[in-house]
Amino acid sequence: MAKKLTLALFSGSVDKLTAAGVILGGAAAEDMDVEIFVLLQAAFAFKKENALTNERVAEITDKKDEFLASLKRLEAPHWTEAFKTAKEMTNVKIHICGFAGKVWHGEKLEDFIDLADDIVGIGEYIDAAENADINLFI
Amino acid sequence: MTPEELAQIKVDKSVDARGTSCPGPLLAAKKAIGQIEKGQVMEVLSADEGTKRDIPKWCAKKGFEYLGTVEESGYFKIFLRK
Repeated sequence: MAKKLTLALFSGSVDKLTAAGVILGGAAAEDMDVEIFVLLQAAFAFKKENALTNERVAEITDKKDEFLASLKRLEAPHWTEAFKTAKEMTNVKIHICGFAGKVWHGEKLEDFIDLADDIVGIGEYIDAAENADINLFI
Repeated sequence: MTPEELAQIKVDKSVDARGTSCPGPLLAAKKAIGQIEKGQVMEVLSADEGTKRDIPKWCAKKGFEYLGTVEESGYFKIFLRK
């Protein structure tokens, strides 16, 4: 049976989202079943108007320009592309936390990028986390 | 297999993943493996160090036969049999 990965995705910064994208790639290579819960700051990044323009980084912020330039130089896919590729290769469900959505004025699923599957509450996260082989908080 | 044997081997599918970084090469290999038959040989071209270890591990997990790695100039070729 496929192993399960549950990702509590809290971060809305490009460096952490990019890392999440690479991890999802690894999970996809293993045909894992993945559930992602988009929490608080990540809900900002998942909003349609922010997803591609958001360039905030969380760490080593004094070298932000070098970091972003390196991603381009290495032709790293944008995190939205990495998430999309993982979704194409294995089972990935992306749930927006209802409260997080409201924080960033996202009331409906259509307020978020197409990657998002539904809007959920905390119970579903705990459920998924209980059943996962790998639990991550990014 | 020896480098000489690998140089001679008939490759049924070549995956050029140079220019992509982790997890690119691994995902490219996964996509391509569905396009060859059991018993056929695939080569993966990559310049990403992590890939050298990722692909043999992935082969072991999936039951593919890792045949060997050949270093070229600035990249390497990994051979496997489905």
